Formats: sequence, structure tokens, C-alpha cells
Amino acid sequence: MGLAGAKNKRRLGNDPNNTKWSRNTESFGQRMLRSQGWEPGQYLGAKDASHTEYHSEASTSHIRVVLKDDMLGLGAKRNNGDECTGLDAFQHLLGRLNGKSEEVLETEKRERDNLKLNLYLDRKVGTIRFVPGGFLVGDVVKDKLDEDAANSSDGTARDVSKESREDSTETESVEKKSKKRKAERDDTDRDEEKARKKEKKTKRRNTDSEAETDSASSKDKKKEKKERKSKKRNADSDKGDAEPTTSSKSSSKRKKDKEQAADESSDDAKKAKKEKKKLKKQKKERKEKRRKDRAVSESGSESLENSSKETKPRKEDKTPADSSVSTPSGSGYLTPVTTSTRYLARSRFIAQKKMAFADTAALNQIFMIKS
Amino acid sequence: MADSSRTNKRSSVEGEAQDSKRIKTNGDEKYNPYLAHLNEDNGNYSNSPLDKMHRHNTTALEASRAEDSDLNPWTGRRHSENYFKILKTRRDLPVHKQRQEFLDMYHSTQILVFVGETGSGKTTQIPQYVLYDELPQTHGKLIACTQPRRVAAMSVAQRVANELDVQLGEEVGYSIRFENRTGPKTLLKYMTDGQLLREAMHDPEMSRYSCIILDEAHERTLATDILMALLKEIAQRRSDLKIIVMSATLDAQKFQTYFSLRKEDPPAPLLAVPGRTFPVEIFYTPEPERDYVEAAVRTVLQIHAVEPEGDILLFLTGEEEIEDACRRISLEVDDMVRESDAGPMSIYPLYGTLPPHQQQKIFDKAPEPLKKGGRPGRKCIVATNIAETSLTIDGIVYVVDPGFSKQKIYNPRSRVESLLVSPISKASAQQRAGRAGRTRPGKCFRLYTEKAFKKELIEQTYPEILRSNLSNTILELKKLGIEDLVHFDFMDPPAPETMMRALEELNYLACLDDDGNLTRLGSMASEFPLDPGLAVMLISSPEFYCSNEILSITSLLSVPSIWIRPNNNRKRADEMKAQFAHPDGDHLTLLNAYHAYKGAEQNGEDVKNWCHEHFLSFRHLSSADNVRAQLKRIMEVNEIELISTPFQNKDYYTNIRRALLAGFFMQVAMRESSNSKVYKTVKDDQLVLIHPSTSVTNTYDWVVYNEFVLTTKQYIRTITNIRPEWLLEIAPVYYDVDSFEKGEIKSALVRLNEKVRRRQAMKGGR
Repeated sequence: MGLAGAKNKRRLGNDPNNTKWSRNTESFGQRMLRSQGWEPGQYLGAKDASHTEYHSEASTSHIRVVLKDDMLGLGAKRNNGDECTGLDAFQHLLGRLNGKSEEVLETEKRERDNLKLNLYLDRKVGTIRFVPGGFLVGDVVKDKLDEDAANSSDGTARDVSKESREDSTETESVEKKSKKRKAERDDTDRDEEKARKKEKKTKRRNTDSEAETDSASSKDKKKEKKERKSKKRNADSDKGDAEPTTSSKSSSKRKKDKEQAADESSDDAKKAKKEKKKLKKQKKERKEKRRKDRAVSESGSESLENSSKETKPRKEDKTPADSSVSTPSGSGYLTPVTTSTRYLARSRFIAQKKMAFADTAALNQIFMIKS
Repeated sequence: MADSSRTNKRSSVEGEAQDSKRIKTNGDEKYNPYLAHLNEDNGNYSNSPLDKMHRHNTTALEASRAEDSDLNPWTGRRHSENYFKILKTRRDLPVHKQRQEFLDMYHSTQILVFVGETGSGKTTQIPQYVLYDELPQTHGKLIACTQPRRVAAMSVAQRVANELDVQLGEEVGYSIRFENRTGPKTLLKYMTDGQLLREAMHDPEMSRYSCIILDEAHERTLATDILMALLKEIAQRRSDLKIIVMSATLDAQKFQTYFSLRKEDPPAPLLAVPGRTFPVEIFYTPEPERDYVEAAVRTVLQIHAVEPEGDILLFLTGEEEIEDACRRISLEVDDMVRESDAGPMSIYPLYGTLPPHQQQKIFDKAPEPLKKGGRPGRKCIVATNIAETSLTIDGIVYVVDPGFSKQKIYNPRSRVESLLVSPISKASAQQRAGRAGRTRPGKCFRLYTEKAFKKELIEQTYPEILRSNLSNTILELKKLGIEDLVHFDFMDPPAPETMMRALEELNYLACLDDDGNLTRLGSMASEFPLDPGLAVMLISSPEFYCSNEILSITSLLSVPSIWIRPNNNRKRADEMKAQFAHPDGDHLTLLNAYHAYKGAEQNGEDVKNWCHEHFLSFRHLSSADNVRAQLKRIMEVNEIELISTPFQNKDYYTNIRRALLAGFFMQVAMRESSNSKVYKTVKDDQLVLIHPSTSVTNTYDWVVYNEFVLTTKQYIRTITNIRPEWLLEIAPVYYDVDSFEKGEIKSALVRLNEKVRRRQAMKGGR
């Protein structure tokens, strides 16, 4: 934890786990159990019962939980102050020191600049919203890609006995979806996408189609002011894409590759890296690397998990009130309304009202009083 | 049966005229279904369609015919119009299609595992199918169907009584902890699982029943788990007892394996009925959320803005969080409605401690569009996980699941049982998602990543038996005559340490003797539907001349907190509470409040209003009153004296404080040092603070506490000041100095012993 981190002081007793008690073999309880033939390390319950295979570890020792005293969502990790910000300016230098090739550095720099530009534009003039209008496939515009078919696969009346299998169909359909998305991405003409993107500042929307365009767009450089967010997202979804198909192991390998690339820039690794870079925001990358370094000693998969979880920027920095976007009902990711702009619009509205009240002329006008 | 074909024809073909004749005969003969078996061969009584059916040899066709007849086979009265209406809807239920299949399996096996999702109709229909097969009136043994929740037992019994066209409490009844609505005619009985367990204590063979149906077994409540083990055992002795285990979910295999009676037997047969569900599309967030409540609120708003008509169900963890979210959502929705043309939305909280009339509101219709042709309104229900399985709300199309719930956890080492927010299980996440597909295809928005779903969630929620303090359960098992606790056939055996702790507590409470046998005190304590500590306190209270008062305190401690402290009026609420405050302890404050309440009641005041003015919960006070009456009855049965010290006596409160120790001497904490606010619990050495809700202003060196609360800090709640000398006197075994580890508490006790000895010596010398 960084020095600036919130201090959470808590006094612990000498023996918070009360091992004194659990080690005491003389206690009444332990005596009773032993007298009935129990030995430490054994389960309670019927001898050689056929259902023992279903016993969980909670049958050996009490359930341990982590005390949750924050509002972090599932899988989110607290920022322990080990992720620094404001290093943008040094990225170039640091990258070179880390042995990145010029080419890579260039793309990273461009990404950073784009982000800056978008943020500026967003702050200065706000953004325009667009409504998804389907996908041009060949000569026909389709509302949705045929995702529904995939989704409905898990839609058949559930037979409970098959429930567990169903889980897998569910994930399968997700997989299908993501595959499709990938394919889609490849298909779309890049230039076209780019152009579209540029004028669009598309914001995140609820629909699949939206998500698709987003991920598609992600491949290009991010032009959107939302950039930061969407990038993160893209990176994530990219990861998501990879996951169902490749085992977590392989993805962790990917990561390792990257790491190698940093050091020795082997061909293979470089390729992987490039691909990644395209998808990832630079900041994220930085983070990842740091994390990776940290995690080298740990298992690769663990570091992967961390990294994906720690992706910093929140929905909040996502932009405009998506709520007003009318989206087709077939939905994809539901992106919550971004509060910042909502509040922005609202505070502007309030400010206007206040100003009007302060201004007698305006008030007179409002109340139609002739002075 | 000679005339069976004739009757057959009659019931289906005969016209009105003959019908009326038959009714007349009925009236004359005083048809009594209970005596039907006596007259089995007597043609006079053959007009009940049940007579030609043979127990354990009926068919769905016969049963349907009996159901279709004009006369109610159970009462002999004519069926009402409504009956046939309901009958028609019943026949549309998914289970109905498999009635014959069910009967065939039921006939062929002793234990049957039945899986049907919520909505399949299993809870109402299966017991009736059994009824038409068991024909209980012929042999006088009942059919029992257990439910984990009291409300469910009551409402389902009512529903089934309607379906059978009988009076609730007659042929169909229910029995729950403090209420029994059954009669001599009762054939089918719904009850809570705890209630059946209590009955088993007095009837270890369950000889009153011919068939026991364990419903909602997937919930794995403590009582259901014990019942399953018990029934498994009884089934081996009583081959005439049939058992049906009904579950809504997955782990049917586990049930099947568990219920193969002997190891070499094949697993118990399974019958599965598909529920009526629609596909649910599942969405994850692409990245973890910073603040799950915030994310949940936004998701709800987003759904409201862009998704087509359909109600929303949002799962959160607790009362406070739910109320907070409701406030935030309604503020934002108001804005949305004002600033754009969003449809109206009504928001309802739903949690256990909510008054029933407010809980009912969730079934209200979604609001109408604001103007004609405007966007449709919808309702949003913000609920704890009670909406996960127990309750079916129609119209839910969107589910928002942040992935947390409040779960009970017990740590036998620190002896703390607490409700903590923790991640749900995969099974429960699926269950939540399934709620969206009840009326039409729905969507479930999970506020976590797919990776988190796969990696962070456990497969199944741990059954309650692994998460609870077992002292009450062990006491019940002992009472049930289970000697070998180690090899008792639990479906999921509890952790050995948990059982050790339970045994130890019971031993200290003198409910078990040193050889582990149930003592008289223990046997009496098991009669009370209370934790052993409370029960022992109640039983020994006459020794302290204050059993009336202890009875009141016990009742007050077994209902939710009677204090109300609204967020917008905390100060006033605290002032009101201060009126009742007793300087020596919260237990006494509770008692004061209760006495004031009874006083107001006797003065003929409007009690509801009085409670409102004094920031007390009328509901909980009156339920405490009810509990008190029940406990009093049990005390009278057990010949426990009800006495009080006269109020003028200076020992009035001292006696009560001493009596508290008789049950709670294991929950005592000593102040660490004279100027510290930190206390240390006796023996377990946990560092604790006194919960800020206390009305005690002085700091005392020794306190007895009612519960240990784990939040960000460790608190003890509801405390009362005690004198350490009492500990040595009331619980000498527990406070045997030699059993203590070196430390402040031990040295304090040593000093104390010294003091007591000196005082006695002085007395002796005099």
C-alpha cells in the first residue's frame, strides 16, 4: 500500500484465530468426538457413504470469508496506490528504455495523442450521439447479425436434469457471439470504419451491434473521445474473445510472450504484442507491464487475472447519457448511463435556472411583467 | 368390486335428477370418509369415486375421474363452480402431463427424488396426487409436506384447500411454529420443516404419516438437512413410509445418491418435470465494477430508458442498501420523467423485515403510461435473495445481479455467527437469472465479468448446516435419540470443530453431562423453540425469582429489534429510547420498553400510535408478545414457576442481571484496562467494542452480551453490566481459574477468588 493510501488500523488480539482452542485436545467436544471414533482430519458423517464424493471442504473446516467493507463489485480490486498516473509524458522514454521498437512507440504515441485530443474535444464542445443503424452486409443492411440464433440455443425449455449441461451451452453461446464479433471485426472495412468513427464519437450503447461496432472500431485507433473507456473495454472484450477459445493458460502465455518481447523482442512475441497494442490503450499497457513484472514471480495465470480485473477506468468516464439513445431491443452489453455527463447536463441546467433567477430582467420576462 | 362399473358410469353419464337423489342419500347416511374403509364392501357407500381406487394402485385416469365428479370425494359435498375453474388451470400445469409417470414411480419406490422448476406446480400438485393415491382416510395416516418458510406453508395450504374445494384447517391444514391449523379430519398437512422436526422429537418413528414430502430441498435449510438424515434412517425401519424429496435445481444427483438406502443400492429414482421457462439472455460487464450499488442503479435506469416493457428485479444485500438504492433510483427516474419522456416507474423494496402489507405491494401492477400512448410504465423490485427462490413475481423480464448476498457464517473458533456480504454461488446466479424468464424471454445483467463468474463464484451455495452454530441442532439430535453424532448420516457433514463447539457449549450449559448424555435440563431446554442459552436462562430463572421478567426478555431477544431509528429522525428516536434506558444494561432497557408498552395497552391507549410516538416497532413488540404467550404455555407444561421479585425490592434488577448470566455466562467480556474502551471476550480472547446502539452510558468492567456482531469492527450488542463474583457463583465450571490462559482475565479472576475467599473467611470467623 502506498503511503498515501487510506489507513485502516485494526488491532488484532494475540490469537485472533483462537488456535489455542482448536489445538486443545482435552476439550469436551473433542473428547466426545474421539470417543465415538472420530480422528482428526476425518469427515463427520456416515462411514463409507456413497455420497461422500459430494462433500465440500466446508465439511472439514469452517467456511472462511473475506470481510467486505467496501462497495467494490465482484472481481474488482482495490487500488492500493501502486498504480501511478501522470507518467504519460515519460512513456516514450520509458518505452525506449524497455527496448520497444520505434514503430511500436510511434503507435503508442499516436494513441496517447488521440486520447488527449478526444478528451479535449469532449470537454470543449461535447459529443454528438448516434443511433445504431444496422450493419451493411453486402448490399443489405441488417439490423442485427444472426446472433439471435446463437442465443436461442440456451433458450429451450430448461430440463432441470440437464441444467449443468445448460451452463455450458450458455457459455457456448457467449463464445459464439464473441467469435462472431471477431469475425465481424475482420470483415468490416477498416477505412470505412475509421471514417465513421472519426465523425461519430460513438458512445457506448446497449446493443450488441453497438458493442460490435465498438470492438470493431477498437481495432482502429481510437478516435472517440470516449476513447479511454472504450479502449479499456475493447481490451477487455478482446481478452474475453480470446478466453473462451483458448485456455487461460494460453492466454497467460500470451502475456508472457509480451513480456519477453519487452526484453528480447522475439519475432513471435512482437507480433502478439503488436496485436495487443492495437487493441489496448497505452496506459493500460503500462499498467499491465508493471503488473506483469510484479507477477513474474507469481504464476502467470494469476497475473492475468489481476490485470484484467484491475483495469482501472470506470464506466463513469464513459460519456453521454446513453439513456436517450434509442436502441434496438436486441441488446448486447448494457452500458450504464454515465453519471458524469448526466450530472454535467443537470448542473448546467441548474446553473441556468439560478442565473435566470438572479437576473431581474429575465425574471420579468419569465413572469411576463412589463416594467 | 361388483358395482364399480356402475358407479363409474353414473359419475360420468348420469344426469341432474339422479345426482340430486344421490345427494339426498348421502345426507341420510351421514357419509363419513373416515369410516369409508369399514364399509368397503357395502354397496351403500360406493358413491364416492374413491372407493373403487386402491391405495398404491391407482392411476391418473381414476384420479382425474374422481376429480371430475360432481361430488367432492373428500367432503361428500358438491363441488363449487370455482373448483372446476381451478381444476382447469391445474390441468395445464406442467406436472399434470406426467401424473401417470409420477404414480408409476411412486408405486415402485420408497424414496423418490422429484425435480421441477418453480412454476411447474410441484408444491401444490404433487401432494394432491399423493393424496389421491394414499387415500389417507382408509388408514388414518397423514401426508405431510414441508416448506422452509412459514409464509409458504400457510399460503400453499390455503391454495391447496381451494383447489380441493375444502375448508382450510379441515381436510387440508398447516402447522407452523406458533400456529397450528389442523383438525381431526386433516389428511394433508403443510408444515415448516422445523415443525416436523419438533414433532419427530415426540414421535421418532413419524408414525402419524404415511408419506412425507420434503419440498424445496435444494434450499438445504438446517431443518431439512436433519430431516433428510432422519427420514433416511426411519425409512429403513418403516417400509410403509414413502418419501418424496422435491428440489428445484441441479444437484438432483446428489440427492439421488444420498437416498440410496444401502450402499449397494442404486441411487433413488428421479422424476424431472420441465418448468415453464423462457430463454434468458445473459450479459456480463466487460470489466469489474467499482461500486456495485452505483452500477446497479445505473443499470436499472438504463433498462428503463432503452429496453421494452417488462419489470425489473434487482438483487441487493440488505435493508439499508435496498432503501438507499430505492431512493436513488426514484430520484433519477423522476428526473428522467421530467426531462425526457421516460415512462413512469414504481419502485418497491423487498426484504424479510419489511411489514407484510408493504411486501404485498410488489404484486401491484406496473403503473400506467403517463399519457395515452406514452411509454409504458414498469415496476422495479429491489430485493434481497428472498426473491431468488422463495417468491415468484410475475412480469419480471429483467434481472440485475451484482453477485452478492448476505450470508450467515459461523466461526466455531471465535463462536461468532454473523451475516456477511459475500459473493453468491454459480447456482444461485443461475437461479437469479432464471427469474427473468418466467413470463417471456428475458435478460439478466450481471454486474461482473464472465471471468469473475467462472473464477470467483463457488459452484453451490453452502447449505445452512455448514454455516450455523449447531448447538441447537445437536440438542435436538440428542433429544431425537441420536447417540452417535459422529456417524450421523449428514448429507453434508458439518466441520468437526463446529460440532465440538456445540457439544462443548451444551456441556457447559449442563444440557449434556460429562459423558455426553442428555440431562433433564437439556431435555427440557429442547422443548423450547429457542437457542439452548436462552432456553437454559428461562428454565433456571425461577431460581433468581424473576422468571416473568426473563420470559419477557427472552421473547424480546427472539424477535427483530424493537427500536426504530429512522434516518431523518435519529435524534428524536434516541431521545425516546433514552426514556426507557436503564443505566445497568440494554436487556433492562428492553424490559422497560416492553413494560411501558404493556402499560399503554392496559391504559387503553392506541398502542399503534403510542409505538409510533415512541419510535418502537409495534409489529415486533406484538410479535414478542405472541412469542411470550407461546413460551409461557411451554413453561406451564414443564411446570416452570412464573414468579417475580417485587418491584420495590432493591434486588429487582440485580436478580434479573444475575439470571441473565445463567444462560449467557459464555458471552461475557472484560474491559482491557481501566481507561480503554476495548473489551476482551472471556476464553476466546476476541477484542471487541460495545456497539454504538447501546443505551448504557457508563463503562463497566464486566458485561454480558447477547450477540457478537462482525462489521468493519467487532462489536458486542445488547450488553448488561454484571459483577464478576456472580460468574464464579453461577458458572463455577466455566470460570474454573485453572482452565484459563495466562492474561488479564485470569489474573482478574484469581484476585476475585482471593477476595471471595477472604470475605467468606471473615464471615466464618465472625
